[in-house]
Amino acid sequence: MTEPAINVEDLRFSYGDLEAVKGISFDVKPGEILGFLGPNGAGKSTTIKMLTGQVTPKSGKAQVLGIDIAADDPNLQAQIGVCFEEKNLYLNMSAKENLDFYASLFGIKEPETMEILRRVGLAERAKDRVHSFSKGMRQRMMISRAFINKPKVLFLDEPTDGLDPVTSASIRKTIKEEADRGAAVLLTTHDMFEADELSDRIAFINDGEIVALDTAENLKQKYGTRSVKVRLREGSGVREEHIELADEGSSAKLAELAASPDLLTIHTEEATLEAIFIELTGRGLKG
Amino acid sequence: MSPRLTWKVLRKDMAIGPRSPLFLWMIVLPFALTLILQVAFGSLFNPEPRLGIVDDGDSQITAEIEGMEGISLTLLDDTEELKTQVEANDLDAGLILPAGFDEAVTSGEQPDLQFYIGGESLSSNRIILTVTAIDLIRELEGSTAPVTVDVVNFGTTGLPISVRLVPVIVFYALVMAGIFIPGSNLVEEKEQGTLMALLVSPAKIGDVLTAKWALGTVLATVMATATLALNQALGGNWLQVLAVVVVAASLSSMIGLLIGTFAKDSAMMFGLVKGLGIFLFAPTLFYIFPEWPQWIAKLFPLYWIIEPIWQVSVMGGSISEVWLELVVAIGITVALIPVVGFVARRVQAQMAAR
Repeated sequence: MTEPAINVEDLRFSYGDLEAVKGISFDVKPGEILGFLGPNGAGKSTTIKMLTGQVTPKSGKAQVLGIDIAADDPNLQAQIGVCFEEKNLYLNMSAKENLDFYASLFGIKEPETMEILRRVGLAERAKDRVHSFSKGMRQRMMISRAFINKPKVLFLDEPTDGLDPVTSASIRKTIKEEADRGAAVLLTTHDMFEADELSDRIAFINDGEIVALDTAENLKQKYGTRSVKVRLREGSGVREEHIELADEGSSAKLAELAASPDLLTIHTEEATLEAIFIELTGRGLKG
Repeated sequence: MSPRLTWKVLRKDMAIGPRSPLFLWMIVLPFALTLILQVAFGSLFNPEPRLGIVDDGDSQITAEIEGMEGISLTLLDDTEELKTQVEANDLDAGLILPAGFDEAVTSGEQPDLQFYIGGESLSSNRIILTVTAIDLIRELEGSTAPVTVDVVNFGTTGLPISVRLVPVIVFYALVMAGIFIPGSNLVEEKEQGTLMALLVSPAKIGDVLTAKWALGTVLATVMATATLALNQALGGNWLQVLAVVVVAASLSSMIGLLIGTFAKDSAMMFGLVKGLGIFLFAPTLFYIFPEWPQWIAKLFPLYWIIEPIWQVSVMGGSISEVWLELVVAIGITVALIPVVGFVARRVQAQMAAR
């Protein structure tokens, strides 16, 4: 059985009297993308900060690649890549200089800077200073910086927040490639489409607690309704019928409607991740 | 802490520093101040009198002038060339010493002496060169001056203001390069969030702070040394001067690091430097106003770095005369290390908690 790249047990953190993370437990295997889905202030970023050694947990245990996060072991940082929500690049340095500098910190003598920039579509701008980059380009730089050391574990904090659909899609493709390479990815997002598209498993986090953790399919099946909506032409109007798939005789009913010359559309009515989140927490993902 | 990582961060800071207008301004300011003060109080734009000599007889006068400080001597072979240079104001005056001139003077003859004065030369330079030439000829003849000049110091004796201002200029070089540059560099890393990015790489806070301190120390050493050289205060014992400047730069940079660690943003950083300004600047005032009780200057931390520079570079003393001051300066620097470390850890936690 594959050892988890990230293993977290009952991890807690407080900002003063405010308990931000209340005893969460999960693991992420190599090559797996775990989506941390929750609204702002749910504890997603704090979890990443603990796992990357930026803050020390108040209690609980966590290991990344077998290294205790409380041990302040530089081997931990040497094997991880972090993409912050805040865009923290050296604006007075070029794209290539930024990546080369970070590569040098990891002791990489011949960094594949241009190859990485090519992957994120910035090779043409390699010599341009980052201050001239758009928001989307800076975000792609952030992602490429996280990849510079070919990390075994990637922590991505809202990597597509506020970006246009084209840039978001490009970044998602790159994240998927990193997971295919074998990196364990912890992805925080409040974008249910992103979580659904990228994640092998999804953890719903709310008020510092994981309220559900499973594959997207299982979550939808567990918390959604198994029904289809059938739309049929009726005179000059349209008639809708909802068929519960669990009901007796639903298959025959569906077959009958499917054969009808008045059939317009058939839609499955699985629950969205947001609907499940609302059902579980009573609040939306944008909060 | 890793020397390799410290070097990587330092190299990055040195590479991108000159791209920042603030960084450039901090480098330029002490030089600009030197120029302004030199224009106001003299020396840089007050060159030595320039004398040209065509000596056809290996005169003793030429040898005497060659050994004099304060006169710039040019030896020429050709009389016409001498005249041309004086006419063009490349020389203030030109003297033609024919063959056998010394012998003629000592034998009591009264040989002709051609002395050309440039029309555009400064009156003070003309007088200095004329009087010097006449004195030397009188010496050659073996006669003494017809009068005895009794020199009486009138007014307060002391160093000229241009010399007493040297500590002020050096202070600015140290503050700008040693305090502002590491401080503002660290604050910028905090403001841009790049410090957090560094800290999730193999680099630790100790590597980053050491790199910033080294940046300030190196730049402050270069700036202070260059400022002293510009003010002709480097002296002959430049190695000793360099040693006291390095100690001064180390302490300045440590203070800059402390301010930079403590300040949350640029506004706070500038506020702190402004607020601490008089506290830091105060010891230099005691060099401008030597009649003030000098013991008060010792209450201020930068006295312990300004005084060794003053004694060793300006006054031409040696390190052994200022060992106590140097020990105190090094002691303050070392004592600040744990303070910076403590503040840095707190700030790191605050930043992560944002």
